[in-house]
Amino acid sequence: MTQLVQALVLGLLIGGVYALMASGLALIFGVMKIINIAQGALLILVAMFTWWMWRETGIDPILASVVTTPLMFGFGWILYRVVISRIRDQSASMSVLLTFGFALVVEGVLNVVAGNKFRSATPSYFEESFRVGSVSLPKTQVYGFVAAVIVLAALYLVLTRTWTGRAIRATSQNPSGAALVGVGAAGTAALAFALGTATTGVGGSILSVLYPFFPASHYDWISRLLGIVVLGGMGSLPGAMVGALILGLAETLTATYGGLRWSTLVFYLVIMLVLLFRPQGLFGAKLREDAA
Amino acid sequence: MSRLRAIPRQHLVAGVCLLALLLYPVINPWQPYPQGVMLLGFMLAIQASSWNIISGFAGYISLGHSMFLGLGSYTVAICALAWGVNPLWLMPLGGVTAVVAALLIGSVVLRTSGHAFVIITIAMLLAAQILAVNFKGLTQGSDGITLELPFWSRDYQNIPFYYIFLGLLVLTVLYTAWIRRTKFGTGLIAIREDEGKAASIGVNTTRFKIVGYAASAFFIGVAGGVYAYYLTFLNPVGSFAILGSVVIVLAALTGGKGTLYGPVVGAFIVQLASEAATVYGGSSQTRVLLFGAALVAVVLFMPAGLLPTIEARWRKRHPVTIEFTDQAGALGRSPATTRERALEDVAQAVADDLTQGEVLLEVRGASKSFGGLVAVDNASLTVRKGTITGLIGPNGSGKTTLFNLITGGMAADSGEIYLEGQRIDKMPPWQRGHLGLGRTFQVTRLFKDMTVQENVVAPLPDSRWRTMFADAVSGHEAARAGELLDIVGLRRFAGERAGDLSYGQQKLVELAQVLMLEPRLILLDEPAGGVNPSLLGRLTEVIRELNQRGITFLVVEHNIPLVLELCDPVVVFSRGRSIAEGPPGTIREDPVVLDAYLGDDWRPVPDGKAPNTVQTANQMGAR
Repeated sequence: MTQLVQALVLGLLIGGVYALMASGLALIFGVMKIINIAQGALLILVAMFTWWMWRETGIDPILASVVTTPLMFGFGWILYRVVISRIRDQSASMSVLLTFGFALVVEGVLNVVAGNKFRSATPSYFEESFRVGSVSLPKTQVYGFVAAVIVLAALYLVLTRTWTGRAIRATSQNPSGAALVGVGAAGTAALAFALGTATTGVGGSILSVLYPFFPASHYDWISRLLGIVVLGGMGSLPGAMVGALILGLAETLTATYGGLRWSTLVFYLVIMLVLLFRPQGLFGAKLREDAA
Repeated sequence: MSRLRAIPRQHLVAGVCLLALLLYPVINPWQPYPQGVMLLGFMLAIQASSWNIISGFAGYISLGHSMFLGLGSYTVAICALAWGVNPLWLMPLGGVTAVVAALLIGSVVLRTSGHAFVIITIAMLLAAQILAVNFKGLTQGSDGITLELPFWSRDYQNIPFYYIFLGLLVLTVLYTAWIRRTKFGTGLIAIREDEGKAASIGVNTTRFKIVGYAASAFFIGVAGGVYAYYLTFLNPVGSFAILGSVVIVLAALTGGKGTLYGPVVGAFIVQLASEAATVYGGSSQTRVLLFGAALVAVVLFMPAGLLPTIEARWRKRHPVTIEFTDQAGALGRSPATTRERALEDVAQAVADDLTQGEVLLEVRGASKSFGGLVAVDNASLTVRKGTITGLIGPNGSGKTTLFNLITGGMAADSGEIYLEGQRIDKMPPWQRGHLGLGRTFQVTRLFKDMTVQENVVAPLPDSRWRTMFADAVSGHEAARAGELLDIVGLRRFAGERAGDLSYGQQKLVELAQVLMLEPRLILLDEPAGGVNPSLLGRLTEVIRELNQRGITFLVVEHNIPLVLELCDPVVVFSRGRSIAEGPPGTIREDPVVLDAYLGDDWRPVPDGKAPNTVQTANQMGAR
């Protein structure tokens, strides 16, 4: 029983972190129909940067997201303006190839600069746990989850309560309509891309504590995050949340009862099963398609 | 010599290159290093050409295609060890495993259009790697499998492998060329250009995509088996490497995706560049950086690829002028006899048991709403065999939505639709097409990058595999497309890019395209919109001629004089349902109709000098 509760709570905590990491991907796809494969590489980039800051200054890795988030916001904005916007008129598949190429560039740079070895930030509380009854919760997981929830709440507020957020949502639903009422598509797209990239600032900082990483681990991460987005229905933020929680739970439950080496595989199995019965994903909507 | 000249230049160049590659080991036999580099180039070219089928032709990018190489390698290695057979005998098995895997994955993710496919291909590659690590009993896990050394004397080095891979490459190129020539290949390109339109002309998009994915896996699997034997060792990380997929994509993109030789040319460029980078530029770590930068550069600066870019330059330098606006030519008639024969062929294809006046299409109580907007509201409609039924109504009255419900572009919320008594409203669009339902679109949706000829060949009148793999370039299908172009008088544009034609001409081509479906009923959505008067005259003439030969029409049109002249009966739609039906003479006078078009305030002036209602209605409609 304790084992089950332990697994469920842990799954929830991991799911929360996944939700944050996937939210950026879902946001960018929802607004621009761009699948940003580089999101995983950016997570690793931030994790590496956080690790370096932690080692040099001793700053808490999760708190370091206060620095990395605005940095990544700016980075995302520049990346969109300088590179991504150039292929706006081309088919969506070209954006996949472009961001994939960019991910490889980031991986390659990290390889050259930092070397191909595992790293992990280990702050003082690294091996401590909170104990609630007989359930023990690693402090790193709890802090990571709390940070993720705060950022997700902030993202939610930005999207629903600010003009910028409404502009982003309007553009994601109807770009030409949004343009008609004075919302510039290009500017909004850059903002949305920057916001989506900013989530890797927090996500990467959390990652640096929770998981050992090396430059090529971005493939693992991006396929996991893309899986979540497909599961939830491409471009749907609530879908990404639910998908992340489902997959977080599936992963810890398999790890607890079936062995660690199967946990990643279950991830892909769940996705294929959902797609088998619901090709458009859990929250995917079929839109009016005759507007050509 | 003259026969050599008749071969297109690109095939000639390819033949010369092949000859050189065949002779190379004979001329320079004691150089294992360049042979090894070439051999890997062949293997990359096999993979890029195969990838081209699903991602170049059909436009569904796969980022996990190296998975099939790994699957082929493992299948052959495992079977060879278990049965004690030489791996070379088993190489087709590698292809079989790859095809089975592609069919399984494809039938889950390729049923819908959209972006899930590319994501799943990456995920499956990584999943395959994990599987290979975890199924220790079968794959020996991370330790990997070691195979016996090649049976031939070391003196022959890798020359046998060189010829095996070269042979496989030639087969792969011939195979993709064959696919491109069939209606299957045309259908794949149609899917890339406009998937919804492809479905409406009888292309079973789900089947085409799944078969295309499987077809793109086969030769990679076969090559994987040989590759395992060549390396004599395989492990999960090496066999299912994502960088392998990157190189495939990069090769195809560099050379020109969607072209026949582009992926092959690209493969050699990438292979040689990557070899040079390894020799002069340090470690394998930097290769990731180089491949990434190359991919970014190609997408940004040469997205079409090398061969298409060169071809475009060539065309610019050597322009061929075509007089598209030449009215006499466009309206000119083909020899009357061939045209007559073509029309008779159409009549024969349409021949059925229904007699004139029987119900062909029946819509019962169909409804469709978009959020709060009820576009079609409990509408019913009957179209009788042999008629040209007109459907008029103000903008936004639900006519086009009704068309979409009938042809399957959208699913109705409720209601039933019957064609010749058979219920069709739950069928996918292509199946309705196979039953003889064709449509044109309000704004023409030709496949703009295909030639006119290819556009007309693309539709499939039935779901037989024989039709799917019929030759589309020559033979019966192509001849028939030519005949149909004769009917609309545009055969001389057969070789032109469809997007280059004028709008009116495109409308005529779209009509010819629909005729390829052997339709009993054609739905025309605003055929006269944006068409100049002389072309319009031709269009109505063709419609009449086809109608006389047994094809029924349902026409949505705002040009009221045209409708009243051409159609009988005329159905009037308002607010999502029909409000009046009858011969044009009656409709013209019907006060309900005038209300619907002109609002409640408008009444005909009571005295004898009533305004010409038709004229007024026309003006309103044209607004």
